Amino acid sequence: MSSAALERDPAVQARVVTALAGRGLRIQMRRAQFLIPAFLLPLVLLAVIASGTSAAQNLRGFPDTGAYIGFVVAGTLIQGALLGGITAGISTAADIEGGFFDRLLAAPVHRVSLVLGRVGGTAVLGALQACVFLAVAFAFGARYEGGVVGVAEAVLLASLAAAAAAGLAAAIALRTGSLQLLQNLFPFVFVLLFTAPAFFPRALLQPELQAVADVNPLTFVVEGIRAALHDDPALGDPLTGLLAAAGLAIGATALAVWAMRARMRST
Amino acid sequence: MSASRQDAIVVEGLARAYGGLRAVDGVDLTVAEGEIYGFLGPNGAGKSTTVRILTTLLRPTAGRALVAGHDVEREAAAVRRVIGVALQEAALDPLMTGRELLQLQGALHGLRRGAARERGEALLDRVALQDAADRRLGTYSGGMRRRLDLAMALVHEPRVLFLDEPTTGLDPSSRATLWDEVRRLNDDGTTVFLTTQYLEEAEQLADRVGIIDQGRIVAEGTPDELKARVGDPVLHVDLIDPADAERAAGALAAHGAIRRRGDCGVLVQSALGARAIAPIVRTLDEAGVEVDAVELETPTLDDVFLAVTGHAATAEDAPA
Repeated sequence: MSSAALERDPAVQARVVTALAGRGLRIQMRRAQFLIPAFLLPLVLLAVIASGTSAAQNLRGFPDTGAYIGFVVAGTLIQGALLGGITAGISTAADIEGGFFDRLLAAPVHRVSLVLGRVGGTAVLGALQACVFLAVAFAFGARYEGGVVGVAEAVLLASLAAAAAAGLAAAIALRTGSLQLLQNLFPFVFVLLFTAPAFFPRALLQPELQAVADVNPLTFVVEGIRAALHDDPALGDPLTGLLAAAGLAIGATALAVWAMRARMRST
Repeated sequence: MSASRQDAIVVEGLARAYGGLRAVDGVDLTVAEGEIYGFLGPNGAGKSTTVRILTTLLRPTAGRALVAGHDVEREAAAVRRVIGVALQEAALDPLMTGRELLQLQGALHGLRRGAARERGEALLDRVALQDAADRRLGTYSGGMRRRLDLAMALVHEPRVLFLDEPTTGLDPSSRATLWDEVRRLNDDGTTVFLTTQYLEEAEQLADRVGIIDQGRIVAEGTPDELKARVGDPVLHVDLIDPADAERAAGALAAHGAIRRRGDCGVLVQSALGARAIAPIVRTLDEAGVEVDAVELETPTLDDVFLAVTGHAATAEDAPA
């Protein structure tokens, strides 16, 4: 097979994407500095919010989701997905700074596969995180009326959100190559979370914040997760959430591909 | 520009500028298939920039280059398929194991899982890393990392292997091991383009050497050809009896330029080098002069470097 054919052969590139996704996942799971934001931090915040602000459940208009932790775990899934996505961007920047990226570029690999490998690995990470968070929340009293299907939908939405965050972070890494810039993005995750109804119902937000939440695409994802988990259309729409998450994932991945091409043109 | 069937690398007028700085400034070179080409120069001479262009990682701002008959700009994908690359500093992820990295590299080159595993095992044996294969790279020594880096560059059996300062920072033993492996690869028919700042490395390994300084090739040839440019080898003839020195100098005049050294020494500069030793000893024997020792001093690439660049080569560990 010629080299050009190799780069265009879908089966070969599928193997490349799988191998790169596997590598990305291994790195994520072996590096403490990635495990902490991806797993520990969301669980700590879940514990703090579930125990410290559970009185919010008594507010008039607060939806009934059984245990309070069952309501806020949807926000934890999104938080984990966003933080996992940023660590994927940090990994990309580290590969660029450390020279591993050159090794990838010197191989007969389609440039889009390099992006898809990173995004795909993070999507799997997002799914793993979601399973862990849902299991922990379940252990502390959350119940999922949506059953297995609802949980699977929630995991899928979280996975797509992680892919979206990874695409965006990878695009930044590819354009700037800056590890430090990516590390500075962590605080913005919390801005995104609190401008989406991650831990509080949209209807009970202050009007100004509600206006922002109305246009924040993550709103539809987090509400979709919540609705899927509790099988309650009043909490959101899983299909709208799926469309929003898929749209974000596709858009962010396209942005990363563009950033990769721009990087290649500039070398 | 055309490459003959025997040319693995053809470079014409290659240049790369960064703003006003010309890191590579009109490099021309040809590397024959099966050759080890040593690209010698100090830090910042343009070695690594040239390698990055030839391995498709960087675009030239002028000139053209063919690797295995493929244009590095227009046919970059084809070039990547036939080259193996071990860049400076062996950029390897410390959290992955040697075996995992080799299998990843196999996948990047289109090998199926089973084939990548099989090839990886063979290469681990070849570079004597089987025992450390499941250890994370963070625990490897510099020499082990370099050997793994080399193995990764060989996963797809490349026709042309680029080694960018492969032994910089290694201890002499690790360096010798790597040299042996490069020789074995070359014996198997792999063309090797080797950058180095170590004169000894170029002398030991390279069939031909290009000396680059400030982005330009300032000398090129076999190590012997380059050394011959500096001057002929000198034979140091030490005599037992100082009284014979005058007679010895007269008798040896036919063998080359003669100089005296101390009371008992005669220096004979001869293009024949080692081949002049037997005739010189015979001549002195016939003249009744007793010889204590004969020693051959040949110019080194160090001398060549100094002669062509006007400054000594440095061998610092910082990357070029």
